[in-house]
Amino acid sequence: MRKIFSSRTVVLLMVGFLMVAGLIAGSNWWAKKTNNPPFFQRVVNDLTGGVAKIISIPTNAVGTRANSLANLLNTFSENKALKAKVDGYAQNKVKLQTVEDENRSLKKQLELKKTMTDYDTISAVTISRSPTTWNSQLVIDKGAKSGVKKGMAVMGDSGIIGMVTEVNTVNSKVTLISDTSEDTNRIAITVKGGSGDTNGIVTDYDADKKLLVMSSIANSANINKGDTVVTSGLGGLVPSGLLVGKIADVTTDSYGLSKKIYIEPSSDLSKIATVLVAKKEMDA
Amino acid sequence: MAGWQLIRFQFIFPLILLVLFLMDGNLAASLGFLMKEPIHAMPMMTFTWLFYAIQFGVEKKLPYYTYVVLFGILFDVFYTGILGTYTLAFLVGTFAMEKLRPYFDERMMSGLLLLLIGLMIYLFVTYVAGQLIGAANLSLLAFIVYLFMPTALFNLVVAAIFYYPAWGLFQRLG
Repeated sequence: MRKIFSSRTVVLLMVGFLMVAGLIAGSNWWAKKTNNPPFFQRVVNDLTGGVAKIISIPTNAVGTRANSLANLLNTFSENKALKAKVDGYAQNKVKLQTVEDENRSLKKQLELKKTMTDYDTISAVTISRSPTTWNSQLVIDKGAKSGVKKGMAVMGDSGIIGMVTEVNTVNSKVTLISDTSEDTNRIAITVKGGSGDTNGIVTDYDADKKLLVMSSIANSANINKGDTVVTSGLGGLVPSGLLVGKIADVTTDSYGLSKKIYIEPSSDLSKIATVLVAKKEMDA
Repeated sequence: MAGWQLIRFQFIFPLILLVLFLMDGNLAASLGFLMKEPIHAMPMMTFTWLFYAIQFGVEKKLPYYTYVVLFGILFDVFYTGILGTYTLAFLVGTFAMEKLRPYFDERMMSGLLLLLIGLMIYLFVTYVAGQLIGAANLSLLAFIVYLFMPTALFNLVVAAIFYYPAWGLFQRLG
Protein backbone atom coordinates (compact mmCIF):
# COMPACT_ATOMS: atom_id res chain seq x y z
CA MET A 1 0.00 0.00 0.00
CA ARG A 2 1.23 3.46 -0.84
CA LYS A 3 1.99 5.53 2.22
CA ILE A 4 0.11 8.81 2.25
CA PHE A 5 2.53 10.58 4.58
CA SER A 6 6.18 9.74 5.03
CA SER A 7 7.43 9.79 8.60
CA ARG A 8 9.32 13.00 7.85
CA THR A 9 6.12 14.71 6.80
CA VAL A 10 4.39 13.51 9.97
CA VAL A 11 7.14 14.97 12.14
CA LEU A 12 7.06 18.24 10.19
CA LEU A 13 3.30 18.42 10.48
CA MET A 14 3.41 17.83 14.22
CA VAL A 15 6.11 20.45 14.76
CA GLY A 16 4.17 22.87 12.56
CA PHE A 17 0.96 22.21 14.48
CA LEU A 18 2.65 22.79 17.83
CA MET A 19 4.24 26.00 16.57
CA VAL A 20 0.96 27.39 15.31
CA ALA A 21 -0.87 26.39 18.50
CA GLY A 22 1.87 28.08 20.53
CA LEU A 23 1.71 31.20 18.38
CA ILE A 24 -2.08 31.48 18.73
CA ALA A 25 -2.06 30.94 22.49
CA GLY A 26 1.02 33.13 22.98
CA SER A 27 -0.19 36.10 20.98
CA ASN A 28 -3.62 35.87 22.62
CA TRP A 29 -1.96 36.02 26.04
CA TRP A 30 0.32 38.86 24.96
CA ALA A 31 -2.56 40.90 23.48
CA LYS A 32 -4.39 40.76 26.80
CA LYS A 33 -1.35 41.60 28.86
CA THR A 34 0.06 44.56 27.00
CA ASN A 35 -1.39 48.00 26.43
CA ASN A 36 0.30 48.50 23.09
CA PRO A 37 0.59 45.94 20.32
CA PRO A 38 4.13 45.10 19.14
CA PHE A 39 5.73 47.63 16.79
CA PHE A 40 5.35 45.39 13.73
CA GLN A 41 1.61 44.92 14.33
CA ARG A 42 1.15 48.61 14.99
CA VAL A 43 2.81 49.64 11.72
CA VAL A 44 0.88 47.04 9.69
CA ASN A 45 -2.38 48.10 11.34
CA ASP A 46 -1.80 51.81 10.75
CA LEU A 47 -0.91 51.27 7.08
CA THR A 48 -3.74 48.82 6.38
CA GLY A 49 -6.17 51.03 8.27
CA GLY A 50 -5.27 53.93 6.02
CA VAL A 51 -6.06 51.98 2.85
CA ALA A 52 -9.18 50.48 4.46
CA LYS A 53 -10.44 53.99 5.21
CA ILE A 54 -10.24 54.92 1.53
CA ILE A 55 -12.06 51.74 0.51
CA SER A 56 -14.77 52.32 3.11
CA ILE A 57 -15.73 55.73 1.68
CA PRO A 58 -17.80 54.50 -1.29
CA THR A 59 -19.37 51.51 0.52
CA ASN A 60 -20.29 53.64 3.53
CA ALA A 61 -21.89 56.18 1.21
CA VAL A 62 -23.93 53.45 -0.53
CA GLY A 63 -24.84 51.93 2.83
CA THR A 64 -26.07 55.27 4.15
CA ARG A 65 -28.24 55.86 1.08
CA ALA A 66 -29.72 52.35 1.29
CA ASN A 67 -30.41 52.89 4.96
CA SER A 68 -32.17 56.19 4.44
CA LEU A 69 -34.30 54.59 1.74
CA ALA A 70 -35.26 51.75 4.07
CA ASN A 71 -36.01 54.28 6.81
CA LEU A 72 -38.22 56.28 4.47
CA LEU A 73 -40.46 53.28 3.94
CA ASN A 74 -41.48 52.93 7.56
CA THR A 75 -41.45 56.63 8.36
CA PHE A 76 -45.21 56.98 8.55
CA SER A 77 -45.89 54.42 11.26
CA GLU A 78 -42.75 55.41 13.11
CA ASN A 79 -43.74 59.07 13.05
CA LYS A 80 -47.10 58.31 14.60
CA ALA A 81 -45.55 56.32 17.42
CA LEU A 82 -42.80 58.84 18.04
CA LYS A 83 -45.14 61.83 18.20
CA ALA A 84 -46.86 60.23 21.14
CA LYS A 85 -43.55 59.87 22.91
CA VAL A 86 -42.16 63.35 22.23
CA ASP A 87 -44.43 65.19 24.67
CA GLY A 88 -43.13 63.05 27.49
CA TYR A 89 -39.53 63.73 26.49
CA ALA A 90 -40.00 67.50 26.50
CA GLN A 91 -41.09 67.29 30.10
CA ASN A 92 -38.13 65.03 30.94
CA LYS A 93 -35.68 67.36 29.23
CA VAL A 94 -36.73 70.32 31.34
CA LYS A 95 -36.47 68.16 34.42
CA LEU A 96 -33.02 66.95 33.38
CA GLN A 97 -31.79 70.50 32.81
CA THR A 98 -33.02 71.59 36.23
CA VAL A 99 -31.46 68.59 37.94
CA GLU A 100 -28.18 69.07 36.05
CA ASP A 101 -27.99 72.71 37.16
CA GLU A 102 -28.75 71.72 40.70
CA ASN A 103 -26.14 68.96 40.53
CA ARG A 104 -23.52 71.39 39.26
CA SER A 105 -24.14 73.91 42.01
CA LEU A 106 -24.15 71.21 44.69
CA LYS A 107 -20.86 69.81 43.34
CA LYS A 108 -19.45 73.31 43.53
CA GLN A 109 -20.55 73.69 47.12
CA LEU A 110 -18.96 70.36 47.99
CA GLU A 111 -15.85 71.32 46.02
CA LEU A 112 -16.10 68.14 43.99
CA LYS A 113 -14.21 68.54 40.74
CA LYS A 114 -14.86 65.49 38.64
CA THR A 115 -17.04 62.52 39.40
CA MET A 116 -17.52 59.21 37.73
CA THR A 117 -20.40 60.42 35.59
CA ASP A 118 -18.27 63.06 33.85
CA TYR A 119 -16.91 62.00 30.53
CA ASP A 120 -15.85 63.44 27.20
CA THR A 121 -16.52 61.65 23.96
CA ILE A 122 -14.34 61.06 20.94
CA SER A 123 -16.42 60.37 17.86
CA ALA A 124 -15.09 57.86 15.36
CA VAL A 125 -16.16 56.14 12.15
CA THR A 126 -16.14 52.38 11.72
CA ILE A 127 -13.65 51.46 9.01
CA SER A 128 -14.01 47.73 9.19
CA ARG A 129 -15.48 44.83 11.08
CA SER A 130 -13.67 41.53 11.56
CA PRO A 131 -15.05 39.01 9.08
CA THR A 132 -14.00 36.31 11.54
CA THR A 133 -15.59 33.43 13.35
CA TRP A 134 -15.12 34.48 16.96
CA ASN A 135 -13.66 37.89 17.51
CA SER A 136 -16.46 40.41 17.13
CA GLN A 137 -14.24 43.41 16.58
CA LEU A 138 -14.52 46.76 14.87
CA VAL A 139 -11.69 48.85 13.54
CA ILE A 140 -12.38 52.55 14.18
CA ASP A 141 -10.54 55.53 12.71
CA LYS A 142 -9.25 57.08 15.95
CA GLY A 143 -6.19 55.89 17.83
CA ALA A 144 -3.59 56.90 20.38
CA LYS A 145 -3.14 60.23 18.60
CA SER A 146 -6.72 61.22 19.45
CA GLY A 147 -6.40 60.08 23.05
CA VAL A 148 -7.98 56.63 22.81
CA LYS A 149 -6.75 54.22 25.49
CA LYS A 150 -7.13 50.50 25.96
CA GLY A 151 -10.11 49.68 28.18
CA MET A 152 -12.24 52.71 27.29
CA ALA A 153 -15.96 52.18 26.76
CA VAL A 154 -17.42 52.57 23.29
CA MET A 155 -21.01 53.63 22.67
CA GLY A 156 -23.28 53.13 19.68
CA ASP A 157 -26.68 54.68 18.98
CA SER A 158 -28.15 53.62 22.28
CA GLY A 159 -25.72 52.60 24.94
CA ILE A 160 -22.49 50.72 25.31
CA ILE A 161 -21.42 48.41 22.49
CA GLY A 162 -17.94 47.37 23.53
CA MET A 163 -14.50 48.22 24.83
CA VAL A 164 -11.28 49.38 23.19
CA THR A 165 -8.91 46.41 23.18
CA GLU A 166 -6.06 47.46 20.92
CA VAL A 167 -4.77 50.95 20.24
CA ASN A 168 -2.63 51.81 17.22
CA THR A 169 -1.44 55.28 16.29
CA VAL A 170 -4.31 56.28 14.02
CA ASN A 171 -6.86 53.52 14.51
CA SER A 172 -7.96 51.12 17.19
CA LYS A 173 -9.87 47.91 17.69
CA VAL A 174 -13.11 47.69 19.60
CA THR A 175 -14.22 44.35 20.94
CA LEU A 176 -18.00 44.18 20.98
CA ILE A 177 -19.91 43.00 24.03
CA SER A 178 -21.11 40.08 21.91
CA ASP A 179 -17.57 38.72 21.70
CA THR A 180 -17.43 35.20 23.05
CA SER A 181 -13.84 35.31 24.32
CA GLU A 182 -13.41 34.53 27.97
CA ASP A 183 -12.82 37.92 29.53
CA THR A 184 -13.40 40.64 27.00
CA ASN A 185 -16.76 41.88 28.23
CA ARG A 186 -16.20 42.20 31.96
CA ILE A 187 -17.93 45.52 32.44
CA ALA A 188 -18.80 46.77 35.92
CA ILE A 189 -22.56 47.29 35.93
CA THR A 190 -25.43 48.36 38.16
CA VAL A 191 -28.97 47.06 37.98
CA LYS A 192 -31.38 49.90 38.65
CA GLY A 193 -34.06 47.96 40.49
CA GLY A 194 -37.30 49.23 41.97
CA SER A 195 -35.89 49.04 45.48
CA GLY A 196 -32.24 49.98 45.29
CA ASP A 197 -29.28 49.23 43.06
CA THR A 198 -27.36 45.99 42.67
CA ASN A 199 -23.72 46.13 41.58
CA GLY A 200 -21.81 43.45 39.73
CA ILE A 201 -19.93 42.66 36.56
CA VAL A 202 -20.89 41.11 33.29
CA THR A 203 -19.51 37.59 33.56
CA ASP A 204 -20.22 36.12 30.17
CA TYR A 205 -21.99 36.41 26.85
CA ASP A 206 -24.37 33.61 26.05
CA ALA A 207 -23.81 33.13 22.33
CA ASP A 208 -26.72 30.72 21.96
CA LYS A 209 -29.25 33.07 23.56
CA LYS A 210 -27.52 36.28 22.41
CA LEU A 211 -27.72 37.77 25.89
CA LEU A 212 -25.19 39.13 28.39
CA VAL A 213 -24.92 37.20 31.64
CA MET A 214 -24.36 38.46 35.19
CA SER A 215 -24.08 35.71 37.76
CA SER A 216 -23.44 35.26 41.50
CA ILE A 217 -25.99 37.80 42.70
CA ALA A 218 -27.31 37.43 46.24
CA ASN A 219 -30.74 35.82 46.37
CA SER A 220 -32.00 38.69 48.50
CA ALA A 221 -31.37 41.22 45.72
CA ASN A 222 -34.63 42.54 44.36
CA ILE A 223 -34.19 42.24 40.62
CA ASN A 224 -37.00 42.00 38.11
CA LYS A 225 -37.40 41.40 34.43
CA GLY A 226 -37.33 44.69 32.53
CA ASP A 227 -35.06 46.54 35.00
CA THR A 228 -32.52 48.86 33.41
CA VAL A 229 -28.83 48.02 33.53
CA VAL A 230 -26.17 50.75 33.36
CA THR A 231 -22.40 50.86 33.83
CA SER A 232 -21.38 51.47 37.43
CA GLY A 233 -18.05 53.16 36.74
CA LEU A 234 -16.35 51.14 39.47
CA GLY A 235 -12.87 50.29 38.27
CA GLY A 236 -11.31 50.69 34.86
CA LEU A 237 -11.79 53.49 32.38
CA VAL A 238 -15.56 53.12 31.99
CA PRO A 239 -17.59 56.07 33.29
CA SER A 240 -20.77 55.40 35.20
CA GLY A 241 -24.25 55.80 33.79
CA LEU A 242 -23.87 54.40 30.27
CA LEU A 243 -26.86 52.31 29.24
CA VAL A 244 -26.09 48.61 28.86
CA GLY A 245 -29.54 47.12 28.38
CA LYS A 246 -32.59 45.61 30.01
CA ILE A 247 -32.99 42.44 32.03
CA ALA A 248 -34.46 39.73 29.84
CA ASP A 249 -34.60 36.92 32.37
CA VAL A 250 -33.87 36.22 36.03
CA THR A 251 -32.92 32.68 36.99
CA THR A 252 -31.21 30.96 39.89
CA ASP A 253 -27.95 29.06 39.49
CA SER A 254 -27.98 25.27 39.49
CA TYR A 255 -27.67 25.02 43.32
CA GLY A 256 -30.29 27.67 44.02
CA LEU A 257 -27.79 29.68 46.06
CA SER A 258 -27.53 32.77 43.91
CA LYS A 259 -29.28 34.54 41.10
CA LYS A 260 -28.20 34.68 37.50
CA ILE A 261 -29.57 37.32 35.18
CA TYR A 262 -29.65 37.68 31.41
CA ILE A 263 -29.35 41.15 29.94
CA GLU A 264 -30.53 42.14 26.51
CA PRO A 265 -28.10 44.73 25.08
CA SER A 266 -29.84 47.99 24.14
CA SER A 267 -27.72 48.65 21.06
CA ASP A 268 -28.18 47.03 17.71
CA LEU A 269 -24.86 45.34 17.04
CA SER A 270 -25.58 44.31 13.47
CA LYS A 271 -24.66 47.58 11.82
CA ILE A 272 -22.48 50.15 13.53
CA ALA A 273 -21.46 53.04 11.29
CA THR A 274 -20.26 55.57 13.87
CA VAL A 275 -19.29 55.24 17.50
CA LEU A 276 -18.43 57.43 20.49
CA VAL A 277 -15.47 56.53 22.66
CA ALA A 278 -16.16 57.59 26.26
CA LYS A 279 -13.19 59.24 27.92
CA LYS A 280 -13.58 59.28 31.69
CA GLU A 281 -12.54 62.70 32.99
CA MET A 282 -11.58 61.52 36.45
CA ASP A 283 -8.47 59.76 35.21
CA ALA A 284 -7.48 62.47 32.79
CA MET B 1 2.05 33.83 -22.16
CA ALA B 2 4.06 36.84 -23.11
CA GLY B 3 6.49 38.15 -20.51
CA TRP B 4 4.82 41.51 -20.01
CA GLN B 5 1.46 39.78 -19.58
CA LEU B 6 2.84 37.62 -16.78
CA ILE B 7 4.26 40.68 -15.06
CA ARG B 8 0.94 42.44 -15.40
CA PHE B 9 -0.85 39.43 -13.93
CA GLN B 10 1.58 39.09 -11.06
CA PHE B 11 0.91 42.70 -10.23
CA ILE B 12 -2.87 42.62 -10.58
CA PHE B 13 -3.51 39.36 -8.68
CA PRO B 14 -2.22 40.53 -5.27
CA LEU B 15 -3.70 43.99 -5.81
CA ILE B 16 -7.18 42.55 -6.21
CA LEU B 17 -6.44 40.27 -3.26
CA LEU B 18 -5.66 43.33 -1.12
CA VAL B 19 -8.81 45.17 -2.20
CA LEU B 20 -10.98 42.10 -1.50
CA PHE B 21 -9.25 41.62 1.85
CA LEU B 22 -10.31 45.12 2.87
CA MET B 23 -13.74 44.73 1.28
CA ASP B 24 -14.39 41.71 3.53
CA GLY B 25 -14.13 43.84 6.64
CA ASN B 26 -15.93 46.70 5.03
CA LEU B 27 -18.91 44.60 3.94
CA ALA B 28 -19.11 43.01 7.38
CA ALA B 29 -19.41 46.51 8.81
CA SER B 30 -21.77 48.01 6.25
CA LEU B 31 -24.13 45.17 5.30
CA GLY B 32 -26.31 44.99 8.38
CA PHE B 33 -28.07 41.75 7.46
CA LEU B 34 -24.86 39.73 7.55
CA MET B 35 -24.37 39.96 11.29
CA LYS B 36 -27.96 40.43 12.43
CA GLU B 37 -28.35 38.38 15.58
CA PRO B 38 -28.43 35.43 15.79
CA ILE B 39 -26.97 35.08 12.29
CA HIS B 40 -23.26 35.59 11.84
CA ALA B 41 -22.32 35.43 8.17
CA MET B 42 -18.79 36.43 7.23
CA PRO B 43 -17.89 37.76 3.80
CA MET B 44 -14.95 35.66 2.59
CA MET B 45 -14.08 37.24 -0.73
CA THR B 46 -10.35 36.98 -0.11
CA PHE B 47 -10.77 33.23 0.15
CA THR B 48 -13.06 33.16 -2.88
CA TRP B 49 -10.41 34.96 -4.96
CA LEU B 50 -7.81 32.41 -3.87
CA PHE B 51 -10.29 29.69 -4.88
CA TYR B 52 -10.72 31.22 -8.37
CA ALA B 53 -6.96 31.02 -8.88
CA ILE B 54 -7.02 27.30 -8.15
CA GLN B 55 -10.22 26.61 -10.06
CA PHE B 56 -8.95 28.35 -13.21
CA GLY B 57 -5.48 26.84 -12.88
CA VAL B 58 -3.34 29.95 -12.54
CA GLU B 59 -1.84 29.21 -9.11
CA LYS B 60 1.25 27.61 -10.69
CA LYS B 61 2.14 30.85 -12.47
CA LEU B 62 2.23 32.81 -9.23
CA PRO B 63 4.10 32.68 -5.93
CA TYR B 64 0.69 31.47 -4.75
CA TYR B 65 1.43 30.17 -1.26
CA THR B 66 3.56 33.22 -0.49
CA TYR B 67 0.46 35.33 -1.11
CA VAL B 68 -1.66 32.95 0.96
CA VAL B 69 0.68 33.18 3.94
CA LEU B 70 1.21 36.95 3.59
CA PHE B 71 -2.50 37.68 3.48
CA GLY B 72 -3.13 35.17 6.27
CA ILE B 73 -0.73 37.08 8.50
CA LEU B 74 -2.21 40.41 7.44
CA PHE B 75 -5.68 39.04 8.24
CA ASP B 76 -4.55 37.97 11.70
CA VAL B 77 -2.84 41.25 12.48
CA PHE B 78 -5.50 43.59 11.14
CA TYR B 79 -8.71 41.80 12.05
CA THR B 80 -7.98 39.86 15.22
CA GLY B 81 -4.64 40.86 16.74
CA ILE B 82 -4.07 37.18 17.54
CA LEU B 83 -1.50 35.57 15.27
CA GLY B 84 -1.76 32.17 13.65
CA THR B 85 -5.42 31.24 13.30
CA TYR B 86 -6.25 32.68 9.92
CA THR B 87 -2.80 32.11 8.45
CA LEU B 88 -3.34 28.43 9.14
CA ALA B 89 -6.98 28.49 8.01
CA PHE B 90 -6.09 30.12 4.67
CA LEU B 91 -3.18 27.76 4.17
CA VAL B 92 -5.05 24.56 4.98
CA GLY B 93 -8.16 25.66 3.06
CA THR B 94 -6.31 26.53 -0.14
CA PHE B 95 -4.01 23.50 0.10
CA ALA B 96 -7.00 21.18 0.38
CA MET B 97 -8.70 22.84 -2.59
CA GLU B 98 -5.55 22.51 -4.70
CA LYS B 99 -5.19 18.80 -3.86
CA LEU B 100 -8.87 18.12 -4.59
CA ARG B 101 -8.97 20.20 -7.79
CA PRO B 102 -8.13 17.24 -10.14
CA TYR B 103 -11.39 15.52 -9.08
CA PHE B 104 -13.48 18.50 -10.16
CA ASP B 105 -13.97 20.19 -13.52
CA GLU B 106 -14.53 23.73 -14.72
CA ARG B 107 -18.32 23.78 -14.61
CA MET B 108 -19.70 26.28 -12.13
CA MET B 109 -21.55 23.80 -9.89
CA SER B 110 -18.48 21.62 -9.67
CA GLY B 111 -16.37 24.66 -8.78
CA LEU B 112 -18.81 25.85 -6.14
CA LEU B 113 -18.74 22.41 -4.51
CA LEU B 114 -14.94 22.65 -4.32
CA LEU B 115 -15.28 26.11 -2.74
CA LEU B 116 -17.80 24.73 -0.25
CA ILE B 117 -15.33 22.06 0.83
CA GLY B 118 -12.61 24.73 1.17
CA LEU B 119 -14.94 26.93 3.23
CA MET B 120 -15.79 24.02 5.50
CA ILE B 121 -12.14 23.29 6.19
CA TYR B 122 -11.38 26.98 6.73
CA LEU B 123 -14.22 27.39 9.24
CA PHE B 124 -13.37 24.13 10.98
CA VAL B 125 -9.79 25.35 11.58
CA THR B 126 -11.08 28.62 13.06
CA TYR B 127 -13.51 26.66 15.25
CA VAL B 128 -10.73 24.49 16.65
CA ALA B 129 -8.45 27.51 17.15
CA GLY B 130 -11.29 29.27 18.97
CA GLN B 131 -11.63 26.29 21.31
CA LEU B 132 -7.90 26.46 21.96
CA ILE B 133 -7.95 30.03 23.31
CA GLY B 134 -11.37 29.71 24.92
CA ALA B 135 -13.03 32.11 22.50
CA ALA B 136 -15.60 29.59 21.32
CA ASN B 137 -18.46 29.06 23.70
CA LEU B 138 -20.94 28.40 20.93
CA SER B 139 -22.26 24.86 20.65
CA LEU B 140 -21.39 22.95 17.49
CA LEU B 141 -25.03 22.85 16.39
CA ALA B 142 -25.43 26.62 16.79
CA PHE B 143 -22.12 27.05 14.97
CA ILE B 144 -23.42 25.07 12.00
CA VAL B 145 -26.88 26.64 11.89
CA TYR B 146 -26.08 30.29 12.63
CA LEU B 147 -22.52 30.63 11.37
CA PHE B 148 -21.55 28.00 8.84
CA MET B 149 -24.77 27.87 6.81
CA PRO B 150 -25.32 31.63 6.34
CA THR B 151 -21.61 32.13 5.63
CA ALA B 152 -21.57 29.37 3.01
CA LEU B 153 -24.79 30.63 1.44
CA PHE B 154 -23.60 34.23 1.15
CA ASN B 155 -20.19 33.35 -0.22
CA LEU B 156 -21.45 30.74 -2.67
CA VAL B 157 -23.91 33.27 -4.09
CA VAL B 158 -21.15 35.87 -4.43
CA ALA B 159 -18.80 33.29 -5.96
CA ALA B 160 -21.51 32.22 -8.44
CA ILE B 161 -22.18 35.81 -9.53
CA PHE B 162 -18.51 36.53 -10.17
CA TYR B 163 -17.63 33.04 -11.48
CA TYR B 164 -17.73 33.79 -15.21
CA PRO B 165 -16.36 37.35 -14.98
CA ALA B 166 -13.43 36.01 -12.94
CA TRP B 167 -12.89 33.19 -15.44
CA GLY B 168 -12.83 35.72 -18.27
CA LEU B 169 -10.37 37.90 -16.41
CA PHE B 170 -8.03 35.02 -15.65
CA GLN B 171 -8.12 33.88 -19.27
CA ARG B 172 -7.34 37.35 -20.51
CA LEU B 173 -4.55 37.93 -18.02
CA GLY B 174 -3.26 34.41 -17.36
